[in-house]
Amino acid sequence: MNSIKILLAQTSPVVGDLKKNIENHLDIISKAKDEGVSLVVFPELSLTGYFLKDSVYDIGININNREDALVLEPIFKASMDLNMSIIAGFIEKDEDYNFYNSSLCVSDGKIIHVHRKVYLPTYGMFEESRYFKPGGEFGVFDIGGIKTSILTCEDAWHLSSSYIAINKGAHVIIVNSASPTRGIVEGLNRFSSINMWEELLSVIAFYYKSYVIYVNRVGYEDGIGFSGGSCIFNPSGEMERMMDYLEEGTMKVEINLDVLNIERFKTPLIRDENLNLTMKEIEGILNEKRTS
Amino acid sequence: MKKELPEIDEHNFPIIFKHLAYFIKDEVLKTGTNRVVLGLSGGIDSAVACYLASAALGKDNVSALLMPYKSSSEASLKDALKVVDELGINYYTIDITKQIDGYFSAEKNDTPLDDIKVRIGNKMARERMSVLYDYSYKLKSLVLGTSNKSELLLGYGTIYGDMASALNPIGDIYKTQIYRLAKHLRVPESIIKKPPSADLWAEQSDEAELGFSYELADGIMYLLIDKMYKPKVIVSLGYDENLVNKIYRKIKKSQYKRRMPIIAKISERTINIDFRYLRDWS
Repeated sequence: MNSIKILLAQTSPVVGDLKKNIENHLDIISKAKDEGVSLVVFPELSLTGYFLKDSVYDIGININNREDALVLEPIFKASMDLNMSIIAGFIEKDEDYNFYNSSLCVSDGKIIHVHRKVYLPTYGMFEESRYFKPGGEFGVFDIGGIKTSILTCEDAWHLSSSYIAINKGAHVIIVNSASPTRGIVEGLNRFSSINMWEELLSVIAFYYKSYVIYVNRVGYEDGIGFSGGSCIFNPSGEMERMMDYLEEGTMKVEINLDVLNIERFKTPLIRDENLNLTMKEIEGILNEKRTS
Repeated sequence: MKKELPEIDEHNFPIIFKHLAYFIKDEVLKTGTNRVVLGLSGGIDSAVACYLASAALGKDNVSALLMPYKSSSEASLKDALKVVDELGINYYTIDITKQIDGYFSAEKNDTPLDDIKVRIGNKMARERMSVLYDYSYKLKSLVLGTSNKSELLLGYGTIYGDMASALNPIGDIYKTQIYRLAKHLRVPESIIKKPPSADLWAEQSDEAELGFSYELADGIMYLLIDKMYKPKVIVSLGYDENLVNKIYRKIKKSQYKRRMPIIAKISERTINIDFRYLRDWS
């Protein structure tokens, strides 16, 4: 299959209310079936809300523990019944009681991939490292023949993350996020935080010759608003479609590997990437840091 | 890199407006009500907050309280009524003269005039807060705050008085920006044009009392707070050293007004120290 239809779900999660958020997910998923899509992508921590603080402790799920994972059963079932893949964000708890800012991909009733957010912002208004353990990799997995990688919000701000994902074979980078609205800019119809994102995503799409799908949440938590503006960038670095800023809703997009094929042929940046050189340089950097 | 306080212009106004209106709607609805009440002074800040609330919740869900004291300016009351008329919202007029004068009638005459002026001003601000919270209960409405970022940072407000509210849509917007916001919201001209005043006594003027203009102070505070420039760096950019230091001192000295009361920690888990939840937790 050379193309896939994806539904971006720009939701406003209720902070700390797993049940309500699951209901909302199911509602969107069931409507998505009529749209003929095979993947629905929800934002970062879509099942829990973002600024959870101490309620992280109450809302963590160990997906390997049957009793714990039971709450997610309706999502698994929906993915099986509707023959659809679903990417959603949740608080993961491991066997050793560590918590992660995680995203799962469910397909055909089973979890086929979990991405644990690697770069946990802990500065300014953010305090993720206070609660979460960082993930250790940027995995690539297969959704209906499309090689996909998930970068969660801050992950994407580290250009090494998309570098790794692309060189591991990703054709599509899904960036799920909970990006707070901030920064008045003169002469611009959007906030500076939104602008930074759009520039970054365009760069990733163009220079890594890949599709980039951005799903950002909306809504407010203690006065902090999330900006939405979920969108898709094609491998030419152009934004193909975008959802309104600040508004709840869904949008159907399509990715086509034939387009990716053309772009990667015309500008074979990934083919020409010198991984050995990168490795040598990074080893050098690490050695220097170790000895200094 | 541009370092000046960004203006609210015709390009960014639509999204700023939407963001502030959605903030009000979202944060009010999740508490289980759909109504707000606010004190409408006739000044620009409460007018802007009122326009935003009316757009966010609908005119029937916004109530304004006009709470004049005997010395309050007639023009202010007129301007407040203009807002009420323009928006078609509910309003109540509650004269607070009796409460204030009743309380201070027990005061001995030897109190220095400047002290009593400030004390009466604070008492008025707290009396209005007290009425607002009574109406909050009566009208099942949340109290909407109307303090802007400039006065919150400078501490130019009464703690547990005009600084008290359930939610504040304009607390992160400098006074200079409020003027532009007001223009785009089509707040009546007479409100935008008059000099800023707390109107706690006749002929009071914010800028005369502070000793500097909001425009100058906002430019400095934007660099100090938003941009995290150190005072000496701001001085090196050509700003007056005394003024920069004065403003920085004012911000530091009034920090207590912007925080909840501190609690002596004695247990394993203490409110707001290591018992940490959003207010939206519920």
